[in-house]
Amino acid sequence: MGNPMRIRAAEKDGVTEVKVLMNHEMETGQRKDSSGNLIPAHFISELTAKHGDKVVLQAEFGPSVSKNPFLSFKFKGGAKGDKVVVSWIDNKGDTRSDEATIG
Amino acid sequence: MSRFSKTVVAALLAGCALGAHALDRYPGLGRVATAEEVKAWDIDVRPDFVGLPKGSGSVDDGADIFENKCASCHGSFGESNEVFTPLVGGTTKEDVQTGRVKALVTGSFPQRTTFMKVPTISTLFDYIQRAMPWTAPKSLKPDEVYAVLAYLLNLAEVVPADFVLSDQNIRDVQNLMPNRNGMSTDHGMWPGRGMGNGGKPDVKNVACMKDCKTEVKLTSSLPEYAQDAHGNLADQNRLVGGVRGKQTVAPAEGDEKAIAGQPSTNAIATALATEKGCMACHGVANKIVGPSYQDVAAKYKGQDGAEARLVAKVKSGGQGVWGAIPMPAQSHVKDEEISKLVQWILSGAKAQ
Ligand code: HEC
Ligand code: HEC
Repeated sequence: MGNPMRIRAAEKDGVTEVKVLMNHEMETGQRKDSSGNLIPAHFISELTAKHGDKVVLQAEFGPSVSKNPFLSFKFKGGAKGDKVVVSWIDNKGDTRSDEATIG
Repeated sequence: MSRFSKTVVAALLAGCALGAHALDRYPGLGRVATAEEVKAWDIDVRPDFVGLPKGSGSVDDGADIFENKCASCHGSFGESNEVFTPLVGGTTKEDVQTGRVKALVTGSFPQRTTFMKVPTISTLFDYIQRAMPWTAPKSLKPDEVYAVLAYLLNLAEVVPADFVLSDQNIRDVQNLMPNRNGMSTDHGMWPGRGMGNGGKPDVKNVACMKDCKTEVKLTSSLPEYAQDAHGNLADQNRLVGGVRGKQTVAPAEGDEKAIAGQPSTNAIATALATEKGCMACHGVANKIVGPSYQDVAAKYKGQDGAEARLVAKVKSGGQGVWGAIPMPAQSHVKDEEISKLVQWILSGAKAQ
């Protein structure tokens, strides 16, 4: 299980804005350590955001995304008090899921 | 007085006493500040929490205030590096235990965030209260400062999400600051070894007294093709003191002297014109007070005796050829220098 994400979701005029700060190494697999050995790739490969049962965002991530990625998106139909759940899976099969209440 | 030595306090007190004394010495000038006036200025919060206002604020409240008043610059999670280094990041649970941020030693985090560096929580309180938001400093009430600080502490995983920071528990939180043991005064910068060691500076510049080098030896220089990477250094140099920037624009073709690192005739004339103040009134290609050198060169092109006439004109000054504004006599310039300058002007006033 990976490190927790920070999620903030706020509704205004029917549009919910979600901001997510992930906590992940996002190692590209192209860097070498000080003794010259390749550092194995380790990155989030897929991300899903759900509002209730409905998937509101699905994204493919890859090694070109920065360490500790920040993601922000908007969707229609959320109401204050609803939950937004964000989950990711990385290339090693590790997963993480966190939620926030829409404010 | 845990962080600042008694010397500082003594010095400050001495300063106050002096102020009162100064008033006695100049009767009728100024007055002693009233208690209210002093209080309005006296907003600092010190490492021993002297000056800390009463109040409290929760992580939740702080999150809302931060989103409205701080996130536009620092990011919703204090993560943005757009206007400033991130406020949060790079600290671990282990750092909270040890009080020393490991990433500062290993370099494993790309930036040095505020929470990685700051040893005292009072500094954050003081700074936010005094200076933030950037666009409206001193606009936060004490409870709001407690709240945003609680939120930042939660982002840095120093306190839990249901935490309420207050003047009552801020001392306990100080003992959780990730870099609380990272401050050192054992160095050559002020104040060094607690003040009083004479604060040995960290640079040494000893004047040579014997067996000194007699000549300067250049050990490295920019390759030819990169010399003009920052334009012509000679043009950028202030004309103060004996140092002159090198002519770094590409030397004119066939000018071997310039290529060999010696200034060309044109470069010498350019420097001379600058030094003698001609450039204050004349541009090479543009009119300032007087005509541009290129205009002068064009006007007299191919004319017999032009050089001699112009030398005389510069020496004694005059008006009417280019307009009503006179050129003052340039009598401070030696005759042979005026000749050199006029030749240079008539040949097009090239920099190289
Ligand atoms: C308009 C942009 C802006 C806003 C809004 C803003 N800041 Fe800042 N903040 C800055 C800048 C720029 C600096 C760096 C100032 C400097 O070094 O002189 C800074 C510095 C800081 C620092 C010190 C960081 C360090 O390591 O020295 C803290 C803490 C901080 N801000 C907190 C806040 C808080 C809390 C708020 C909201 C109440 C806020 N800021 C709102 C622009 C902003
Ligand atoms: C205070 C401003 C000023 C300074 C300093 C100055 N000049 Fe002039 N210069 C003028 C003006 C104005 C004219 C135009 C005079 C005229 O219309 O006859 C002029 C004209 C000239 C001309 C053309 C004269 C002609 O009759 O066509 C030359 C050549 C010249 N300056 C060279 C120099 C040199 C070399 C220096 C430095 C030693 C210098 N000037 C310093 C203002 C100045």
